[in-house]
Amino acid sequence: MASQSLTLPFVGAAWRDRILDGLRDNTYVFALVLTVALIIANTAVLPAFASWSQVPSELGTLAPFALAAMASTPAILSGGGGIDLSIAPLMGLVNIILVTGLLSHGLGNPAIAVPLLLLLGGVIGAVNGVLVGILRYPPVIATLAVYFVLGGIDLRLAPDPVSTNPNWTNQLASTLWHVPGTIFTVGVVLLLWFFFRRTAYYGALFAVGDDDVAAFASGVNASVVRIVAYTLGGVLAAVAGIALTGTIQSADVTVWPFYVLIALAAVALGGTALTGGRGGFLGPALGATCVYLIQNLLSALGIDVFYVQVAFGAVLLVAVVGGAFLGRTAQRPRGAG
Amino acid sequence: MTSVSANRAVLAAQDLQRRFPLLQLVALVALFVWGIVGLPAFATRPSIDSMLVLASFLGIAAVGQTIVILIGGIDLSIPNVITAGNLLTTLLGGKHWSFGEIVAAILGGAVVVGAANGFLAHHFRVPALIITLGSGSVVVGAVLAGTHASVYGSVPGWFTHFVSPASTVAGLHIPQVVLLWIVITLVVGVVMHLTGIGRRLYATGANERAAELSLVKTELVWVGAFAASAVFAATAGILLGAWSGTGEQAIGDPYLFLTIAAVIVGGTSLIGARGDYWRTVLGSLILIVLTTNLVGHSYSEATQQIILGLIILAAVGTYGRDRALRDRV
Repeated sequence: MASQSLTLPFVGAAWRDRILDGLRDNTYVFALVLTVALIIANTAVLPAFASWSQVPSELGTLAPFALAAMASTPAILSGGGGIDLSIAPLMGLVNIILVTGLLSHGLGNPAIAVPLLLLLGGVIGAVNGVLVGILRYPPVIATLAVYFVLGGIDLRLAPDPVSTNPNWTNQLASTLWHVPGTIFTVGVVLLLWFFFRRTAYYGALFAVGDDDVAAFASGVNASVVRIVAYTLGGVLAAVAGIALTGTIQSADVTVWPFYVLIALAAVALGGTALTGGRGGFLGPALGATCVYLIQNLLSALGIDVFYVQVAFGAVLLVAVVGGAFLGRTAQRPRGAG
Repeated sequence: MTSVSANRAVLAAQDLQRRFPLLQLVALVALFVWGIVGLPAFATRPSIDSMLVLASFLGIAAVGQTIVILIGGIDLSIPNVITAGNLLTTLLGGKHWSFGEIVAAILGGAVVVGAANGFLAHHFRVPALIITLGSGSVVVGAVLAGTHASVYGSVPGWFTHFVSPASTVAGLHIPQVVLLWIVITLVVGVVMHLTGIGRRLYATGANERAAELSLVKTELVWVGAFAASAVFAATAGILLGAWSGTGEQAIGDPYLFLTIAAVIVGGTSLIGARGDYWRTVLGSLILIVLTTNLVGHSYSEATQQIILGLIILAAVGTYGRDRALRDRV
């Protein structure tokens, strides 16, 4: 009702409805517009920002943000208050095992290391999935417990930072075969997402996320759908951990806590509803890009680092409140948290 | 037949646990006994006093988390409000503001922040998780920028004594801050269980639509609950200012997940409207006694975290799991 009173100047009612519908259906539009504006602003402040020599390393720094946000997404899409707080400590675990366990013991060959780490991520994701999908723990609690366990394991394995010798992960944060290495992390994940959208599982995921009881009553095995969603998140967290290793070139237990809340913020900023059943991977990736670009812009302007926090929080509030305002006609009851 | 009677016993036990935090009491006593048996100085006065003081900080910080979880929300801005309260206490103290002015300024600011959290989350139907994440970032960033992250400052001597485990109340060997916690617990308990405010709170958490139809102003409940949450977090921040003596940029950070852990270990369910603050008091005590035991046996912080994670799973496994989908059709 309230949104009907919203008037846009210079456009007729039909166009206004079409624009509002477009914004509602493509929840990532706000993040996309913000991303473009921020890229322009960054380039205006620091022309070197857009130079070819800079872009690969900038994308390398962005990659763990974007992947952490994307890894958080399947759990959220699966609904029922779905959330995965354990993504960041899992990234840390993958980072630490890759540096201290694999690279330093001659197992660093990507053909061995990557499948092993993805498997590890998948297994831990599946544990979350079983806790939520079968044992019916509230997702916040299940993944918080796993967060503590993984955080503890991380701290045990690498109490002090361990740096690594030059290795292949560095190329992921610079260039690989003459193109930015991020294409092989974020790019591949986004590409797979577009194929994923054609699978039957995609439909089931959104059905369960939108209304789990209705999906269950229609014969969808909601437990399995949720287990797969958390497993997927775990696998993506492993990719994020590998990308993280690429940019920091060390095993450092103090880095992952930074991604815990930023990942959730990026998902929300990208327009994915935290109540489940709405959104995709493009939004979180764009949301993460916004977070990174805001940070970059303010530090290029020489603004106090604390204002970055203020700006980030303010943009997040504007984005979610604005998104909620647009989505009002599609109002549904609130989920937990 | 035996399986039927066993089943009945399980149901009776579950029913009892719902009404009364039996498991939590048993766990607390067991942890305490473990401490007495395993650690020589565990049951001495200084040791018990410090545990109580640490539990007070956690317990006071978790009052708000309990209330907002009861209405189906969550407050991630608690650590930021604690840090802001902590920095402002020492900074303004160093600028010779009177103690009353400092407390009034900080708690006033907290009310504004908390009320905004509750209003935005309720009015725009945005998950409280995201709203409080954003507002917390704004608050702590603004305070750090405004104070230039200065950690210099001071607090009055009596106030440092107030949070000292060695302090006494009218000759009794109770640290003064613990007395404050007891008073807060009593007041919160009375408000939640014996007043209309408490009934509106539980009604909102149990079924918001039904509450609204019963003329409960649920938006006001949300605004009030989040405002209370920020006020108690700020109070914890002020107290931690006295404890640390200086401002610390990251002093609130552990309280993000510790307050949630205290609430759920205590037995308040994230599903809403099930639980109360007494349980969080038990949860806070359990976490502190457990940590003291683990530190005493020189377990590393890493092991402590792992054990905390497993305990959360074990505790919540016995209650507070969601209903099966087939029972909700």
